[in-house]
Amino acid sequence: MGHVAASQDAFRAIADPNRRLMLDDMLFQERTVGDLTRLLGVSQPAVSQHIRVLKIAGLVSERRAGRNVFYQSKPETLQTVQDWIVKYTEFWNARLDALEKHLQSMD
Amino acid sequence: MKQVYIKRVLPFPRDKVWLALTDSGHLAQWLMKNDFEPTVGHRFTFLTKPAPGFDGTVHCEVLELDPPNRLVISWKGGPVQTTLRFDLVAQGAETILELRHEGFQGLNNLLPRFFLGLGWKDLIKKKLPAHLATMA
Repeated sequence: MGHVAASQDAFRAIADPNRRLMLDDMLFQERTVGDLTRLLGVSQPAVSQHIRVLKIAGLVSERRAGRNVFYQSKPETLQTVQDWIVKYTEFWNARLDALEKHLQSMD
Repeated sequence: MKQVYIKRVLPFPRDKVWLALTDSGHLAQWLMKNDFEPTVGHRFTFLTKPAPGFDGTVHCEVLELDPPNRLVISWKGGPVQTTLRFDLVAQGAETILELRHEGFQGLNNLLPRFFLGLGWKDLIKKKLPAHLATMA
């Protein structure tokens, strides 16, 4: 099914540090291939290839306006910093509960 | 909110809490299996169950050790490179424990949402079997 393939593509897509950099840069504003080429300092074909991988993985959206194409990360498909903090807050609260229990059992 | 901050008053003396935080065997009991040693610069790992996008290994280094007041370690699990601090203050027979987990900002924290939490579970439990059922 499409979902399984998409998740595998996404996993591959974010394994590359340049693509993670691009996703982060495009999270809050649209970018063109030119913008991203300047950001990464790599060739335009290389950026276009990265964009292709990200699009296949469903991690970026595309908007055409005249001769320009603008790309943006799709935040609904990305785990954001806030999500990590919420996740780790739950994790540590549970771990500290376990610590208190463990302290009770220590001699 | 840029960091995890949790403050707890533990009804135990500070030395006991410090031991629970800085002894490998005790850490294994309430946190995770590990090869921690209470030495600045010691590199070690915490081991837990792997999850998609995370191999289950947290890579750490002891950055600061001030018995029985403060422990600071680096914490790298999957794409997340962060710092974890424990501060202990004695309050009579009790201990005030402050936990700070910080450094979440930055580029490497992005992950597709479905790699963690229910989205992924749903994928493995329902969508994958459904897909396998359709395969000849």
